[in-house]
Amino acid sequence: MASIITPITSSLEAPKAVPKANHREGISTTRKPSRLRVQAMSPAKYKGTRMKEKHLKEMIEKKVTEAKEVCIGDDLSDECRVAWDEVEEVSEARAHLREKLEKYRDPLEPFCNDNPETDECHVSEDDVTDS
Amino acid sequence: MAVCTVHTTQSLNPTCSISKPSSFFGHSPRQLVVLASPGGNSSTIPKRKGGVLKVTCSSGDTIVIGLAADSGCGKSTFMRRLTSVFGGAAEPPKGGNPDSNTLISDTTTVICLDDYHSLDRTGRKEKGVTALDPRANDFDLMYEQVKAIKEGKAVDKPIYNHVTGLLDPPELIKPPKILVIEGLHPMFDPRVRELLDFSIYLDISNEVKFAWKIQRDMAERGHSLESIKASIEARKPDFDAYIDPQKQYADAVIEVLPTQLIPDDNEGKVLRVRLIMKEGVQYFKPVYLFDEGSTISWVPCGRKLTCSYPGIKFAYSPDSYFGHEVSVLEMDGQFDRLDELIYVESHLSNISTKFYGEITQQMLKHSDFPGSNNGTGLFQTIVGLKIRDLFEQITEAKAGASLQAAKA
Repeated sequence: MASIITPITSSLEAPKAVPKANHREGISTTRKPSRLRVQAMSPAKYKGTRMKEKHLKEMIEKKVTEAKEVCIGDDLSDECRVAWDEVEEVSEARAHLREKLEKYRDPLEPFCNDNPETDECHVSEDDVTDS
Repeated sequence: MAVCTVHTTQSLNPTCSISKPSSFFGHSPRQLVVLASPGGNSSTIPKRKGGVLKVTCSSGDTIVIGLAADSGCGKSTFMRRLTSVFGGAAEPPKGGNPDSNTLISDTTTVICLDDYHSLDRTGRKEKGVTALDPRANDFDLMYEQVKAIKEGKAVDKPIYNHVTGLLDPPELIKPPKILVIEGLHPMFDPRVRELLDFSIYLDISNEVKFAWKIQRDMAERGHSLESIKASIEARKPDFDAYIDPQKQYADAVIEVLPTQLIPDDNEGKVLRVRLIMKEGVQYFKPVYLFDEGSTISWVPCGRKLTCSYPGIKFAYSPDSYFGHEVSVLEMDGQFDRLDELIYVESHLSNISTKFYGEITQQMLKHSDFPGSNNGTGLFQTIVGLKIRDLFEQITEAKAGASLQAAKA
């Protein structure tokens, strides 16, 4: 019994649509992708993943510098501990995102997981029975 | 009018005696009304037209598992192993917020307790509290929602976005068979603690934590050895004050320590892992080696089994942990080959497997996960099997109880 989550957000993506293609990825939202450009970098599974990755990278650097500054005087102060906690949070988010992206090296894989019956993904078995 | 209550003993892959209850006349899976003939034997389902036979196909109440672990939700490896034991892979909810921390599989839903932060990143900075501090979390909401899910009601759970540091609009969580609440404070609030059917605490020692964080963060440009160390040190006071004390409440603690087989090892690659299991927990029988309640030290490598350096060492003994009676099963070292794993599995008892070699099969299924060659993977898998066993026992007990009530 699969649990289905219905999101309560204002923007709903059509359930069968492939994640919206940004200008770098080649998977279109029509049933048959006419072109498939495979990028050498990690495939963007979710909307805005590339931006997110970049954002997190920069944030780590920023937060670490901030934390070092705040802790100069007193490294037992509340501000210092909160600053390093933020560093930890962002590092964890970054590691998590990296893991998520590494999971799918083939951009077709998440599409096929969600839409196994499309032409690109259909797996036929050749049942040869003796008659 | 004959009224019967037919129950099936619920396993994790349920087969109801009447098929497809969820789509039957749009009724909820809990009840089916089947038109059948009167005068039938009350123990069989009558076939002809006439009266009403009420068949209750109960899907059972949700069981709640608590997992306390530092840093990060979707504590991927443990969660993936756990959900794999129950069947199916846990994925983030499709079509929803891409930054959702929730994982869903056919039988299990994993909720990240960070979603119950009452203060977002800015709020915490203003108040000067870390995420570890209970003041940053809304325990009332946590209790309310976990209770509702346990009672079979769907809830609108907030989402804490770890990327932006903000609280996003809520997502709908429907009650699953098994609910896992994972995060920093599953056992902090006593009311939430009462709701847990089983609780686990993942206790990573400081040296191992340091080694793992180095592996995780060193590739990042912003980080250096000093910054990683400083981050751990700065979080330690809050961690020791608020998170660590929860381990006394856990039914099982998985302690991860540096190995004792290699002198002065500081790479944290070979690990010594201890599974500390509370005695006297309902539906939970601790795993043991050879003879329950005795003290055993076992090196499986020898004539029948050849292991490579540094080998494997097991220990089992009764002990006391925060005033509770516990049994401790310990593994130090690494598995190198399949036959080492199966050899070890064949000597453990009370492992709640359904067939010989199930643990080995589960470990092999996820051989790419970290910890698949040492005690972390082994004990996480065992805990998963124990939880499955717990689930089946509870469901059977509930079915038995309602059968009694129906008869009375």
